Amino acid sequence: MGKYIGKRLLHLLWIMLAVSFLTFLLMYLTPGDAAMKKLYAQGVAVSDEVLENTRENMGLNRSFAVQYGDWLLHALRFDLGSSFKDGFPVSEKLLKGMKNTAILTLSALALALAVSLPLAFFTAVKKNSLPDYIVRFFSFVGNSMPNFLISVLLMYYLCVKARLLPVVAENSLRGLLLPCLALSIPLCCRFIRQFRAEILEQLGKPYVSGAVLRGVKKRYVLASVLHNASISILTIVGLSVGTLLGGSVVIETIFRWPGLGKLAMDAISSRDYPVIQGFVLLSSTIYVLINLLTDISYRLIDPRLDKKEEESSC
Amino acid sequence: MKKFLSLLLAMCLVMGLCACQASTDPGPVSTPTDDKQTTTDNTTPAADPDAGNVTQPTDTTQAKVLRMAESFAYASLDVHKDYYGWYTSIYGVSETLFKVADNLSIQPLLAKEYSVSDDGKTWTFRLADAKFSNGNALTADMVVKNFQRLAEVNERFAYLGDFTFAADGDKTLTITTPEIYPTMLSDLTAPETGIMDLDATTDPDNAPVCTGPFTVKSFEPEGTVEVVKNASYWNGDVKLDGAIFYYMQDDDTKLNAMQAGDIDGYTSVTAAAKQIYSMDADRYTLTEIPATRLQFYVLNKSRLDDKVCEAINLTIDNKAMAEFLGGTVSAAVGPFASTAPYGKVSKPAPDTAKAKALLEEAGYTAGADGMYQKNGKPLSVNIGYYEARSLDTIAVLMQEQLKNIGVDAVLTAEEDPDATYIATGDYDIALYCMIADKSGDPYYCIDALFRKDSKWALAGFPSDETEKLIDELRYETDVNKRADLANQIVQRSIDENAFGYVGLFNKTTVMTKGVSGISENCPFDFYGVNAETDIK
Repeated sequence: MGKYIGKRLLHLLWIMLAVSFLTFLLMYLTPGDAAMKKLYAQGVAVSDEVLENTRENMGLNRSFAVQYGDWLLHALRFDLGSSFKDGFPVSEKLLKGMKNTAILTLSALALALAVSLPLAFFTAVKKNSLPDYIVRFFSFVGNSMPNFLISVLLMYYLCVKARLLPVVAENSLRGLLLPCLALSIPLCCRFIRQFRAEILEQLGKPYVSGAVLRGVKKRYVLASVLHNASISILTIVGLSVGTLLGGSVVIETIFRWPGLGKLAMDAISSRDYPVIQGFVLLSSTIYVLINLLTDISYRLIDPRLDKKEEESSC
Repeated sequence: MKKFLSLLLAMCLVMGLCACQASTDPGPVSTPTDDKQTTTDNTTPAADPDAGNVTQPTDTTQAKVLRMAESFAYASLDVHKDYYGWYTSIYGVSETLFKVADNLSIQPLLAKEYSVSDDGKTWTFRLADAKFSNGNALTADMVVKNFQRLAEVNERFAYLGDFTFAADGDKTLTITTPEIYPTMLSDLTAPETGIMDLDATTDPDNAPVCTGPFTVKSFEPEGTVEVVKNASYWNGDVKLDGAIFYYMQDDDTKLNAMQAGDIDGYTSVTAAAKQIYSMDADRYTLTEIPATRLQFYVLNKSRLDDKVCEAINLTIDNKAMAEFLGGTVSAAVGPFASTAPYGKVSKPAPDTAKAKALLEEAGYTAGADGMYQKNGKPLSVNIGYYEARSLDTIAVLMQEQLKNIGVDAVLTAEEDPDATYIATGDYDIALYCMIADKSGDPYYCIDALFRKDSKWALAGFPSDETEKLIDELRYETDVNKRADLANQIVQRSIDENAFGYVGLFNKTTVMTKGVSGISENCPFDFYGVNAETDIK
């Protein structure tokens, strides 16, 4: 297992290098630069001289190789530099965004799991019953609705009509509630459909029929089903965590939640290379680590996977 | 089924508990019966060593705190850096030597009077008896330090480094320029020239000490800013106890926050939201004035026939466009508001019959489908645009209007116009939006648009005569003559069909009833709350 983890972490270094290079290249090739974006931010025209001086001060008039090399050398020393937009350290901005995104993502995920797992189980067991139809209908609707629509509807009904929650809530539990709901509703609906399908597949397997025929208690049968479905469930959850941690720009913008997604979008629109590079490194690390954790959990759930791998390597 | 129902009930219970928690938690949220005009600030203002003599509302339940939404928020409050000074000015924290009044005239603020030498190179200013929020008096020496710092930290103001500043006593400031500099007063209205007490400001990013009617209570970079009344404000009583500025980019969020009573007002109201507010005139006050942000297009005379350019200008009906845009834009004649002395220009009314005649004069003939062509080649123009400030809608409307007279228009969208079609000149028509009137003087805009070395020069408008007029404008000190020159130059751009001025963005402000004085009648973006702002 240790060897396996080491190998995956080694891969991470190459992934980070490749991703950072490609991102830098793409940003370099994209028309416009941070100096232009900064100077024209309010729609005020500036002279070419001012633009050139700003580019020089920002080091943007250097070649691609020099700019990337300079960034890479600093990054290797764990120095992600300063934002072109405001001069603040990139690491600080990323940490702040990461903290907020983690709070939002993990709470939305927990809520989605807490609701979707029991409902998926219930609807699978009660397949084609009225509750099954109702849950499937709502999960279909929720899954089809875009995030911004769910957000605006929640805001309108809970804040404006019912006055249960404030629209303007700072980073607090109250402020978290609406974005968390908006993020978890579509997630929950997707989970219900995916988990239900997986549980139904397990329920149709011979070991379940055999156990039922042998008179094994229902809760033990269902526990086995959950155990066997957990690898697929973990895969679905793992992939979702990765996506969610990348940030949900729409929700973060609508609910004024200063997370990573919004930070990245702002950085892209202002061509803030240091922040974009930092974000890309962080995202790729998160994705790789989440996948690694998911793979490790497979092995913990089903130790046969380790054996199989050992046999195949022999 | 029972388990299912109990689960649902449990969920409802959790939601209910959350809601109860929300309604009991103190904060700026209004209750359903709250009329949204005042908020109760239950927090005790934090002691701020840099804030100096700041009023702390003694009876917090009676505090008049205005809650505003802002579409932009920056990471710093340093008045001199980037465009941060725009926001310290909006927050009522910083002030400049002069300010632009609602009627676009330049008025004294921190400078109470001025004179200029006969050669037009030496400006002498007498400062007002202003004080910083910490009680320190504003001195000429401090103003000099501020301008020197501004020249160092802001590339757009690096030119101040060529000026010579001198303090004569506490209240007299002299600025000597290398050549005649008629736009001095206009430059000194720029919010970036706001004055800080640099000796007392230890953290300009978070707590600048300035002369404005408010001082910073709390500042969250790129987030919420809270200001409180400056008790020692030098220029009269401050009516509000404080103000909170929430960073809200999303238009729906602003609308919902306004309807929920979480905020008291904001500017840049969308057409859709405007309709909603208009239907509830008892609760909201809407104001709308033409502002300074100009939507325009440039006709590439290097690629288009003069008659085609004229035909295009006669076809584009900007009043119809302004109507389509739901009143968020006022149809423009020139780049400046027609109320300004330098906004007195005229242009012919749309005339599609004449436009068609011009195309025919240029050798084009209408085909069976009504589309014009010459030598079997259809008349097709390319319109470069970007998705901001309604330019995408305007591009589509232009395409439709041109199609109606038989001209095919191909739309080309770019994310960054300055680095693409404007830089290369690869367009027949280029749409753009910029601030045309920066601070009550036409030179900045004319210099940016019509010069031979401007980014629009590739479109072929600039000429020696225009350049001569612009040079005259540059050195002309008489305000009336400046206006005449500006009008002549802009009129040339219209007569030569080089530019088409579509609209001036309206500054649309919504406020709950009782709120007044948030610079809603000032066309400039960088003014906000002030000593007169009030909630009744």
